[in-house]
Amino acid sequence: MSQPEPTKPQTLHWLQQPATIRRLWWLFAGILLLTIAAEFLVELHPHFGADGWTAFYAIFGFLSCVVMVVVAKLIGYVLKRREDYYERD
Amino acid sequence: MTDLVWPPALLMLIGALLISVLRGRWQALLILATPLCTLWAIWQLGDGVLQSAPFLGYSLELVEADRVRRLFATIFALMAFAGGLYALRQASWYELSAAYAYAGGAIGVCFAGDLISFFLFWELMALCSTLVIWSAGGDAARRAGLRYAALHLLGGVLLKLGIVGLILHSGSIDLRPLVLAGWDSWLILLGILINAAAPPLAAWISDAYPEASPSGSVFLSAFTTKAAVLALILMFPGTQLLIVVGLVMIFYGIIYALLENDMRRILAYSIVNQVGFMLVGIGIGTEMALNGAAAHAFAHIIYKGLLFMTAGAVLMQTGKRRCSELGGLYQSMPLTTICAIVGALAISSFPFTSGFISKSMIAQGAADQHLALVWYLLTAASAGVFLHAGIKFPWFVFFQKDSGMRPAEPPWNMRAAMLLMAFACIAIGCAPSALYALLPYPVAYVPYTAGHVITQLQLLLFAGLAFFVMLPWMKRTLTISLDADWLYRVLVPALLHAWLRLWRHIDDAIDGALGRLSTLWQRLVVAPHRPSGWIVASWTTGAMALGVLLALALLIWRHLI
Amino acid sequence: MREHLPILLVVLPMLAAPICSMLPRGRQAWLLATAVSWAVLAIAASLLIRVHAEGTISYALGGWPAPIGIEYRLDGLNALVQVLVAAIAACVLPFSGRSVQDEIDADRQPGFFALLLLLITGLLGIVATGDVFNVFVFLEISSLATYGLIAFGRDRRALLAAYRYLVLGSIGATLYLIGIGLLYALTGTLNMQDLAARLPAVADTRTAQTAITLVMVGLGIKMALFPLHLWLPNAYRFAPSAISAFLPATATKVAIYLMLRFVFDIFGVGFAFGRLELNEVLLALAAAAMLSASLAAMQQRDVKGILAYSSVAQVGYIVLGAALATPIGLTASLLHLFNHALMKGALFMAMGCVMLRVGRTDLDAIRGLGRRMPWTAAAFVVAGLSLIGVPLTAGFISKWYLVLAALEAGWWPLVILILVASLMALIYVWRVVALAYFAPNESQRREEAPLSMLVPLWLLVLANIWFGIDTRLSVAMAESGMRVLMAGPP
Repeated sequence: MSQPEPTKPQTLHWLQQPATIRRLWWLFAGILLLTIAAEFLVELHPHFGADGWTAFYAIFGFLSCVVMVVVAKLIGYVLKRREDYYERD
Repeated sequence: MTDLVWPPALLMLIGALLISVLRGRWQALLILATPLCTLWAIWQLGDGVLQSAPFLGYSLELVEADRVRRLFATIFALMAFAGGLYALRQASWYELSAAYAYAGGAIGVCFAGDLISFFLFWELMALCSTLVIWSAGGDAARRAGLRYAALHLLGGVLLKLGIVGLILHSGSIDLRPLVLAGWDSWLILLGILINAAAPPLAAWISDAYPEASPSGSVFLSAFTTKAAVLALILMFPGTQLLIVVGLVMIFYGIIYALLENDMRRILAYSIVNQVGFMLVGIGIGTEMALNGAAAHAFAHIIYKGLLFMTAGAVLMQTGKRRCSELGGLYQSMPLTTICAIVGALAISSFPFTSGFISKSMIAQGAADQHLALVWYLLTAASAGVFLHAGIKFPWFVFFQKDSGMRPAEPPWNMRAAMLLMAFACIAIGCAPSALYALLPYPVAYVPYTAGHVITQLQLLLFAGLAFFVMLPWMKRTLTISLDADWLYRVLVPALLHAWLRLWRHIDDAIDGALGRLSTLWQRLVVAPHRPSGWIVASWTTGAMALGVLLALALLIWRHLI
Repeated sequence: MREHLPILLVVLPMLAAPICSMLPRGRQAWLLATAVSWAVLAIAASLLIRVHAEGTISYALGGWPAPIGIEYRLDGLNALVQVLVAAIAACVLPFSGRSVQDEIDADRQPGFFALLLLLITGLLGIVATGDVFNVFVFLEISSLATYGLIAFGRDRRALLAAYRYLVLGSIGATLYLIGIGLLYALTGTLNMQDLAARLPAVADTRTAQTAITLVMVGLGIKMALFPLHLWLPNAYRFAPSAISAFLPATATKVAIYLMLRFVFDIFGVGFAFGRLELNEVLLALAAAAMLSASLAAMQQRDVKGILAYSSVAQVGYIVLGAALATPIGLTASLLHLFNHALMKGALFMAMGCVMLRVGRTDLDAIRGLGRRMPWTAAAFVVAGLSLIGVPLTAGFISKWYLVLAALEAGWWPLVILILVASLMALIYVWRVVALAYFAPNESQRREEAPLSMLVPLWLLVLANIWFGIDTRLSVAMAESGMRVLMAGPP
């Protein structure tokens, strides 16, 4: 077990520099658009109807995640307890 | 019929026994060789009943092999090997011995051809997994292990009653597909579902697994739940109830993992989620869906083992287990980070990873049966998996804001085990035909169509977008989330307490009449059995003699009237 | 020679006993007693094999044929019980060497082993004989030896325990004697087979019914059937370690055997259970034993006390199966009779090891035992698992049959009773195990018991596992005993 030294690095790792992060966001956005664009190049086999819509997977994926996070957040208000909840008497 | 076959479970158990005796280099050799020998033995087995033994007046089918049984045994043996490699230098001998016996139990379950030997190996697993949890040492592990043992004891009792009932009613001990009719099959299903971590009896998994040692949780993640999946494939294929149970598990796992702060507890909830996918596949029950469930179990054991390995490495190197205390570890643990990312991509079923080629078969199974709602929910859940395990776990542990810690990479054997698993995740994803060839039914499914790859990427990447957009909503808090274990850890004691208070209030209202009643139980039943109580102590010799004569008189009188 | 084996089995330890008492040193007496116990085991085993190969063996004592003379009659049931007694003796005697050296004064040791041999004689005699008065004789031999042996205990309370057992045991023996006296007056015979044949003619008389009641109560005391068990806990607790390992595994089992013999073979099920409805009484007492004694065991502060009360509860299991009077129930009962001897023998032996090293067996003495005496503690755990009925141990097998028998008879309350009692067993075993492994102890010194004690202990522990996995032998034996009983009176 090596105990790490909590030293503050002088220069930020390149992944942490704001410029890199900005560039990564742009790259990410580009890839997102590409996946939607690529949809027009291939033939899809929708099973049920709605899943044949353009960008269905993108919208469905995004929205369902938002819903899950929100639901989790709401449930969290009810279910979250302090860590020592079970240890207290 | 019974040529000389090596029962694979027996090899594993012998190995477990020897590990507890040998030390040093021989022990290390044994740790690595035992699972490989077992694997060899597994692949020597042809189809059918290969070994039987008399037990309790029945002929047990100790080794019955077919494709799906061999598949599960194979992955269990492989996992034992990887876990053994990972634990080689760090785990205590008793943890390793217990873990190998646990794996032996799981492999025994795989090949159990009848209900009795199935039950025996099942209980061996419960016993040994408890020991694995306890070998972490410390008070938290002891108590979590106790709760774990208690719940599995309950499951074992239900299963045993169900099996005895089924044997009495049907006269056969054969392990076969059952119809849910009568209390016996329901009890069996319930007993298995407890092990599959189906809510509301799932809390044991997030309660106990994170308390095990780093290597202990790697072993634990593999066997119990997946043995239950195999049992369901063998006994309850096509039971539609399982679709509902599976969907509940899927979303329960996602929501709880999203709320969680402890990294290994996130992974534990994610097991529930993944087993949920398998249950849906079993519930659909077509060849495609059952293939999918089996393949997904195979793939899942590898990437979940990998994820637990990376979490264990982090825990060992930093001593921290909360996401809120971790972060920025990619700088000094690049290999562990990459392995964690591979595992995370695989669990999210990214193209060219093992999850992609297995989970999609279950969704395809739902589509083939025109189960629209199930399909939509499964698709949403796939996005949710990326959210809670695929990004959340690596992001909060290895990236997010820098914790300032610069721990070193774990020792070589741990790195080797992680690399092996990461390689397996990608290899299976890139060349699925090898795994497909092992599945119970012939596979006509082609995972890699351009459309499938693109839609899956769309789904996952936009889920990723949602993660980063919603990041402020997912701030880590120093909390735990209440689960069903709250019922037996808090509610039951609280109810007892409230009951006592209510009792006292009513008692006051009616001038202590109830109080006298309530102490009656104590005074009449419990207290007399204390070492000083009248049933136990205070009998003079004369009183005993008198008692005997009274008993005699009573019996004679009973006959003579 | 070969045809005289049935009597040799009983006579051998009886003849060895006086020699033993005359030997000058305890060590020599121990060696002789051990050698005799092994010879007895060999004879008993050969007899069991012969019974299975050739059928029932009837041996006329002194050449006087039954029913005039005394007959020794070995069938599938009592040949098995004989082997059980002999096997436990052959395990306990090697084990007793060190613990007797430690617990009993040197000059009294020869006497101790002489009494132990007499006890073995008595128990084997009860089992072998086919004559109800001869049973009484051997019952007295074994009882007198037991009183003496318990009084050897180091604790002063052992004397009181022995005295109480003496009073109650004598009452039991007397009731039994009066009972068979009445039967003799009615039928004019003491031979079991003969008695069984003549009893139906006089079954309707009050004398016969009273006689049966007397015999049953007398045996109830000997087998410690609740609530006639009051003598047992202290007797087991304060007796020397070797005796508390030997008695629970054999003495109560022999008494239970005798009860089964009387109910099924002499009185007949139809009469004892059908007409007199003794099964209802037995069921009620068995249930009460399982709950009450388990509850007492849970609250004991001494491990030997826990085990003693647990023995009372386990007698309940055995009687429960017999009272169902179905083939599966009886098989369960006989299996548990056999398996319980294995587990209780091992558990009490483990406590003998603790007694040797720590000097006491209360719960405090157990703290940290997992580190100080790892082999002893591990043996206790395995035998304890067997007591609870965990799969792959002998205890699982008997509980499996019991649950099967109860479900087959459609008695759901009994299934729940068995489960509740098993849960209580889990609790009282767990109390000990938790202390042994999870409680800190200031002394971490390794002080494992000597091999001469560990080997016999682990032999029994391994037997618990063996008979939990390979059930061919035990189930076949129990079933052959069951068939003897189910066949009923000739």
